[in-house]
Amino acid sequence: MDGLTGNEAVVMRNVCKDFKVLNRHEGLKGSIKDLFSRDYKTVSAVKDVTMTVNKGEIIGYLGPNGAGKSTTIKMMTGVLEPTSGEILVNGKVPYKNRTENCENIGVVFGQRSQLWWSLPLIESFKLLRDLYMVPQKDYEEMIDLYRSLVDIEPVLHKPVRQMSLGQRTLSDILAAFLHNPPVVFLDEPTIGLDVSMKSKIRELILGLNKEKNTTVILTTHDMGDVDALCRRIVIIDKGMKIYDNDIDHLKNYFGSYRTLKLKLADDTWEEMLIDEKTTDVMDVIMAKQKESKIKDVKILEISTEEVIKKIYEGSAK
Amino acid sequence: MRKRGLGFYASIYRKILIQDLKSKMSYRADFVISTFGMIMTNLAGFVTFMILFHNFPTISGWDYDHMLFLYGFSLVALTPVQCFFDNNWNLRFQVQSGDFIKYCFRPVNVFFYFMSEVFDVKGLGQLAFGIGTIVYAWIKIGIPVTPLIIAKLIVFLLTASLFMIALMNFAAATCFWIKGSGYVMVIMFRFKDFAKYPSSIFQGIFSVIFTFIIPIAFIAYYPSLVILTPDNVPLLSWISPLFGILFFYLSYRFWMLGVRKYDFTGS
Repeated sequence: MDGLTGNEAVVMRNVCKDFKVLNRHEGLKGSIKDLFSRDYKTVSAVKDVTMTVNKGEIIGYLGPNGAGKSTTIKMMTGVLEPTSGEILVNGKVPYKNRTENCENIGVVFGQRSQLWWSLPLIESFKLLRDLYMVPQKDYEEMIDLYRSLVDIEPVLHKPVRQMSLGQRTLSDILAAFLHNPPVVFLDEPTIGLDVSMKSKIRELILGLNKEKNTTVILTTHDMGDVDALCRRIVIIDKGMKIYDNDIDHLKNYFGSYRTLKLKLADDTWEEMLIDEKTTDVMDVIMAKQKESKIKDVKILEISTEEVIKKIYEGSAK
Repeated sequence: MRKRGLGFYASIYRKILIQDLKSKMSYRADFVISTFGMIMTNLAGFVTFMILFHNFPTISGWDYDHMLFLYGFSLVALTPVQCFFDNNWNLRFQVQSGDFIKYCFRPVNVFFYFMSEVFDVKGLGQLAFGIGTIVYAWIKIGIPVTPLIIAKLIVFLLTASLFMIALMNFAAATCFWIKGSGYVMVIMFRFKDFAKYPSSIFQGIFSVIFTFIIPIAFIAYYPSLVILTPDNVPLLSWISPLFGILFFYLSYRFWMLGVRKYDFTGS
């Protein structure tokens, strides 16, 4: 590929992925028809996505359900081959040599543990050390680093099957970084976790990124993750990239938006998003006051969550 | 890039196996019950065999001792598929739930990594039972004990195992394409029961099917002829090791093709 600076961890150029899906018919007659049917339609899961992730970056890869996030991740990890376009991960084409690519990436697919179910974590670590051929010295350094970042003693000698969801996610993240890969993919790592576990896991990811300069590609629906970890976000919807920029830029862009909260006569809060450029907040309050008595007023800055919602909705139109 | 050769895979398998056995021992009740169940299964199979022979003194010209040899031979030949490749039974669940993807993220062969996850101890009992049966029949028939015959026995036992492993690989890998692959596996697994009988009892079309299409005749019949009738060994017996390797290789390629074809859709 041309025009690379050598500082890229992941490069995608005009990547498309199509799936062939059988057109299914209804009813028993339809099922029998389907048996012999060659009537396929093509569904594009990813359309012409181009993006670059630099070494050491943590990017949030966001999008509504079914937007094509998982498909992209699967292409970057070498499991799926793109229909067209180019992908380079650590300077190599991932699906051409899956085994080699796997040495240089770590993957956590939220809620799906990749560890040996019945083994204590420390035994899984030792097996992974051997699978990835990690030198003993590097392995010990990594375990020491883990100890300094998070309290691993409670999970180290516990079989994975006996762990809570939080402990299991923590273990999976530790396992994904164990061979010190340059790129780590985290797919919804905080899904279903309690508040304190979430923040523990975010701190761990930040710490590992800082210590090892690991590139992290994070997909999530939790804007708390994005606020805590990512300086840049990429949003895709219906397979197309619709946003790719700094998170600060995002807030500036939507900076004129305010969330207006009004407490009405019946003690209910009414919430509305107002663009100050086009609408005057005072006008809205006055208009509302004619309908009902207003007990309280709050004007808030737009949250990341609402910005993202706005972008999703904008693309839906 | 560092190479991962046969030595690497052997050492990894050994380490996983030791860990697996350690954790299995920790479930004592489960271990005892499954051992008991395994003994009962083998006994039941044996009793059926005895009853059958009580009524038919010879089957297709084979007397009791020769049939016993064939029976023991098939038990031993079925041990590797039971011990090392039992995870094939879980393949379709993992593929359908999407959990299968985790096997694709490690820098090792997917087939190896998948199979290494399960070692079924129950197979060892079957092995002991089978060896006992072979030794008993061996003495009764009066086959001489020479290094050459023992070597032949081992080679042809391995051949027979390869056929059974390959059959189950084919059956399991159908799950990458079709939903009802469970039936395919059960049918294939049932077919192995026919392996205990001399193929000469099958006539015409069945003989062709069980030799060339679903080659269960190679699981015990053809390989064991090398030991039982050394003066009259059919050509198919002699070339069965080559067939076995080829058939296993094809099943492995088919399995891996399934992995490549599979879309991993959904998250």
